[in-house]
Amino acid sequence: MKLVVNGTATEVAVPADTPLLWALREELGLTGTKLGCGAALCGACTVHVDGVPKRSCVTACGDLGDRPITTIEGLATGGVLHPVQQAWLEANVPQCGYCQAGQIMTTVALLAAKPRPTDDDIDAALSANLCRCGTYPRIRKAVHRAAELLAKGAVP
Amino acid sequence: MTAWSRRGFLQGLVVGGAGLTLAACGGGQALRIARADRTGDLAASLYITVHATGRVSLIVNKAEVGQGVSTGYATLVAEELCVPIDHVDVHYASANKAMRTSANLQITGGSTSMFEAYVPLRQAAAAAREMLVAAAAQTWRVAPAACRAVDGRVVHGDTALPYGELTRRAARLEVPAAPKLKPASEHTLIGKVDRRVDLRGKIDGTAIYGIDVTLPGMCNAYPIFAPAFGARPTHVAAERARQRPGVIDILAFDWGVAVVAEKLWQARAAARDVAVTWSAGSLGGLDSRQLTTALRAHDAPGNTVTDRGDVAEALAHAEQRIGGTYEAPYLAHAPLEPNNATARVTGDRAEIWAPSQSPTVAQAYVADALGIAMDDVDVHVTLCGGGFGRRALGDACAQAAQIARRVKRPVKLTWSREDEMRLGHYRPIYSAKVEAGVAGGKITGARVRVRSQSILLSGETLVGAVLSQLPEALGRMVSRAGLALFSTNTVGDMLATEGLTNTPYQLADFQVAFEPVQTKLPVLFWRSVGNSVTGFIMESLLDELAVATSQDPFALRRALLPAKSRQTRVLDRLAQVSGWSTPPAPGVGRGMARHFAFETEVAQVAEVVLDGDRLRVRKVYCVVDCGTAVNPDIVRAQMEGGIIFGLSAALDQEITLVDGVVQQRNFDSFPLLRMHECPEIVVDILPSDERPTGVGEPGLPPIAPAVANAVFQLTGVRLRRMPFQRAWRERGAA
Repeated sequence: MKLVVNGTATEVAVPADTPLLWALREELGLTGTKLGCGAALCGACTVHVDGVPKRSCVTACGDLGDRPITTIEGLATGGVLHPVQQAWLEANVPQCGYCQAGQIMTTVALLAAKPRPTDDDIDAALSANLCRCGTYPRIRKAVHRAAELLAKGAVP
Repeated sequence: MTAWSRRGFLQGLVVGGAGLTLAACGGGQALRIARADRTGDLAASLYITVHATGRVSLIVNKAEVGQGVSTGYATLVAEELCVPIDHVDVHYASANKAMRTSANLQITGGSTSMFEAYVPLRQAAAAAREMLVAAAAQTWRVAPAACRAVDGRVVHGDTALPYGELTRRAARLEVPAAPKLKPASEHTLIGKVDRRVDLRGKIDGTAIYGIDVTLPGMCNAYPIFAPAFGARPTHVAAERARQRPGVIDILAFDWGVAVVAEKLWQARAAARDVAVTWSAGSLGGLDSRQLTTALRAHDAPGNTVTDRGDVAEALAHAEQRIGGTYEAPYLAHAPLEPNNATARVTGDRAEIWAPSQSPTVAQAYVADALGIAMDDVDVHVTLCGGGFGRRALGDACAQAAQIARRVKRPVKLTWSREDEMRLGHYRPIYSAKVEAGVAGGKITGARVRVRSQSILLSGETLVGAVLSQLPEALGRMVSRAGLALFSTNTVGDMLATEGLTNTPYQLADFQVAFEPVQTKLPVLFWRSVGNSVTGFIMESLLDELAVATSQDPFALRRALLPAKSRQTRVLDRLAQVSGWSTPPAPGVGRGMARHFAFETEVAQVAEVVLDGDRLRVRKVYCVVDCGTAVNPDIVRAQMEGGIIFGLSAALDQEITLVDGVVQQRNFDSFPLLRMHECPEIVVDILPSDERPTGVGEPGLPPIAPAVANAVFQLTGVRLRRMPFQRAWRERGAA
């Protein structure tokens, strides 16, 4: 079947019920999207489908059709980081880093829907993305910073 | 050819080429630095190469588990070498005997990395700098003292040469015997550099963790483990699974069944068609609730490990006796990257790629599983998606190697989250009887009897696989604590009671006893190890004593700690930053705790509110003295991380067993603290010029007692059992 990932349509030979996570990691070599729980409980595998955050570990490839998929690898354009990634660097967010692709993808979608999120908005959007190292205070800071960068006209 | 180059563990290193490479020994050994082409008998564990491009490669014997060691070590080198920190590339050494600088293990743990490398790494970098300066001075025919190193160049007047043009000449010079370190006042990076060097790949998806490793011709394996701990497969029905696309083989081992396929998704899909019959488990129907109840009822003195004054007498003369039974459950490490390893086995040699905290231990596991020598196992260390102690083992490495040998192809084994949860090596269960006496408003004495499982004596984990081959490790750990292995003490006592036996509180009559709990459930080091519970016990006891003697908890601690110590300086600062002298707002409980571990003093104040019938920690103040804070923002991050890791455990987590089966499966039943539950955290670092001490673990121990003490202050309910949310719900029942 065909998957449209980061702007490119590619043929992948997987059964329709195969979770998108595996098509990305094993068929397309996009290993930035991580396995954490395999059951939509941790958010490490979050990608965008039509701009909406989805848990790729429980999203079947066969349900996607030609809807555009964006992964962490597709966020920067021409080597220029997305403002959310830039904010992540400024706030020194990652420790082990394993969950951060999911945190960043969730944040990008949050800011698209709510350009100036409140702390409650951040809680609502990000409380389903787990981080074992405990980077939450920095993620919160970075989300606000990314909102500032976007408001100042940084190009996503 | 030297052993290390044959084994190829020094990726990124140039020897005898156009670069300058220095080798140094780290850890507790006497410092020696040598050119890498003339190391002789030097057992080097640190390598610095200045390349002809001007870039610097640094090979370290540690793993990056998120604690920031890459940035820390790069900072030390860049400081003394006078290069911008982004010129330094950090590489993680593969398993090698010379790299065993921690208790004869190559291991990342015990919050020791900065302490170990602070002097040798800077000395080696300073030696390289002096050689580059000398090379430039020779070129210009001037005195070295007239030249200085700046930003990757040597400067003389208005002439300058970049390091890259000096390495060839510098590499022929003698290594200075006593390279001169910069005084702290001239540091431009140490204590100032905050941006981590390992972030880019972690935010753009290019960082390669163990789970992302691919090798040419590699296939994938998905394990099927028994529901009951220690059960072996007795029959495997896999005819349908074998017909599935991509399936290569389905193999039974004593630890379970491996479904091997070209892709992991194929193996995972095929595993649904495999039916396995299992033998009985090895835990003999272990039930953790029954164990907890039994320990609560158990009343035996145990082995005395600390005995100051006369506690029996002191307690006998008390007007009031206080205390109770403090309890903590088994806990999983639950790093977010599931256990995995990639193996290639050729004849009697094995090569492993794994997110490993200890390539030495991984070597031992693989050697044991394949019946080959440890020296014939290469272990390459990848980035780790968290560790917290769990990755000190090599179970997945051994399994991957066994599979690779059978399928005769490189293979990556990837566990599921459920396997990770159910087949953990857990933080030991604790039950401690605490008694203290008060008379005339004064403390008469205190006794703590700890019952727990011994980590180091557990045959299931390190001892069986490693210590038999590395008896020196055991010896060093014993001597570190000044304990005798064959007296009434055991090595296990040391870790189970650390934090109590070495308490800085000046209690004249104080006794600690230990009694091992014997189960076959594997237990292991878990972030801050024994301190994760002993901090809770000791600091709750202090709060109980403050209440019983009608003293302010800060004032009581202040009075019992040695004057003008690291402890009192931290505590005083905490009282300041937390506004301790001002009462908390109505409806807010405030608790204090402190703990000394890994040579670092940390004190915290937690503010707790009730949110319906749940406890909510809304704010935490944390003050730390860890000696020189090489990267202050990483110290802050480790304090935040330790607090949040500790809060997850204190509030919600427990591993329970019924009939020898772990009941938790995934993050729904073993919750981690989430964004909306995360308190605001304020970290304050005490300025210091002392050698850096640990930061990865010591942020954790004070948080549980700070919260419990806050709950008492708010509600009058003393929480002596973790997890607290359960204890709070069941408060009337007990």
